[in-house]
Amino acid sequence: MNAPDRFELFLLGDGEKKCSEAPDTRTANSSVFTFNKEDHTLANILRAHLLKNSHVIFAGYKIPHPLFATFELRVQTDGSLTPKEALVNTCRTLVGDLEILSREFTKEFELRKMVMGDAAATENK
Amino acid sequence: MDFDPMVMDAEPQGPSVKITDATPHSVDFTLQSVDLSFANSLRRTILAEVPTMAIDLVEIEANTSVLADEFITHRLGLIPLNSKNVDDVVYSRDCDCEQYCELCSVTLTLHARCTGDEIMRVYARDLVVDPLRQNQWVGNPVITDPEGLGTVICKLRKGQELRMKCIAKKGIAKEHAKWAPTSAVGFEYDPQNKLRHTDLWYEESAEKEWPKSKYADWEEPPQEGEPFDYDAVPETFYFEVESVGNLEPDAIIQQGIKVLQQKLAAVIRDLADGEGQTNGINGHGYDAPRSPEDVGMDGAWGQDQGYTTPFGNGNGTQEPQQPWGGSATPYGATPYGQQNGWANGR
Ligand SMILES: [Zn+2]
Repeated sequence: MNAPDRFELFLLGDGEKKCSEAPDTRTANSSVFTFNKEDHTLANILRAHLLKNSHVIFAGYKIPHPLFATFELRVQTDGSLTPKEALVNTCRTLVGDLEILSREFTKEFELRKMVMGDAAATENK
Repeated sequence: MDFDPMVMDAEPQGPSVKITDATPHSVDFTLQSVDLSFANSLRRTILAEVPTMAIDLVEIEANTSVLADEFITHRLGLIPLNSKNVDDVVYSRDCDCEQYCELCSVTLTLHARCTGDEIMRVYARDLVVDPLRQNQWVGNPVITDPEGLGTVICKLRKGQELRMKCIAKKGIAKEHAKWAPTSAVGFEYDPQNKLRHTDLWYEESAEKEWPKSKYADWEEPPQEGEPFDYDAVPETFYFEVESVGNLEPDAIIQQGIKVLQQKLAAVIRDLADGEGQTNGINGHGYDAPRSPEDVGMDGAWGQDQGYTTPFGNGNGTQEPQQPWGGSATPYGATPYGQQNGWANGR
């Protein structure tokens, strides 16, 4: 009855931003990014891929409360780039990776379809 | 920093895919040169965030069957509807119309009345699709049985009648499972359990009591007395994607990839938004401020100053973006680098 609407899991509210940065004043080169209407799907991949950057010395995320579709990603770098740059970099790399995956998949699938088409044709003979 | 070049050399050329089996409604493939988080995020998007069509609103004019209105409504919602090129349909919530219109929905009508003495079954094929819709596929009930009946909606006895108008809308499975494109997504790695991510329960011997996965033959079994490799990570992922019938299996994967890209693009857009200001402050410069769209969706990687400029100068920050960041080579050729990318669907 008072259950939250399911679309609150993925629809940004009015004026809500997908992602915002809050620099950590107590630690050098570190920021906490708050993501809205996202979950582990995005959080974990960003965390894991930020850690692949040798200039990122910390990357971790938490979901503060299970009923709210938001997560916080903490990033600390060694200072040669800002956490924001590291994060944007990671995102771009991932978009590129996904694009390669898409292309590879299309290639493989078309090939497969050709093979299957040939097999079906010979079977029907 | 010194070891960066070495790391880069070892960096594989991006994800690779091998399709091992494909049928009209399923595809099995192995994914390599990606990490666990990447494979898992792909799995999660495919499961829950690929848009499809499903009946979402039912206007009941008559229901004298034994099933309650909401019972039938629920069953109608679960009928898979063809969702080919569902990008043509807009989300009702984004549409300018009052409640629904042909831009954001497909109307199906159901009218059945039992007049004979025999019990009558009402099937998905009895749904009549309104031709006023965004494309010729969207909203067609998925019918795969040889008789061409589709799923059973209800049974009627003599004199009972169903008369209803169903509105199918676009949605994702995160909101309701009826919008799921897949009935199952198999996901497996490390079939020999070398990484010990699973702790197999056993009485005497795990090897004897647990059946081996069919993928176990594809990987080297652990050697007798082999020491545990603490640095090992999962490398090969075995996917088995099974479509409900509303989308073709390859379309599910491609849409999943797209959704994930859009998520990332939204982050880039939000963060790179203030780039104009940060420019001056910290001295790392993008050449020119870009509109959010530009940064998120377009050129950024195609044009490439995006990251080569600020981070490439001297501190050796080139991460795995190297293969495509370096030049427009793999990119420029795709619809991606050139113009609108995924925004207007490939
Ligand atoms: Zn509309």
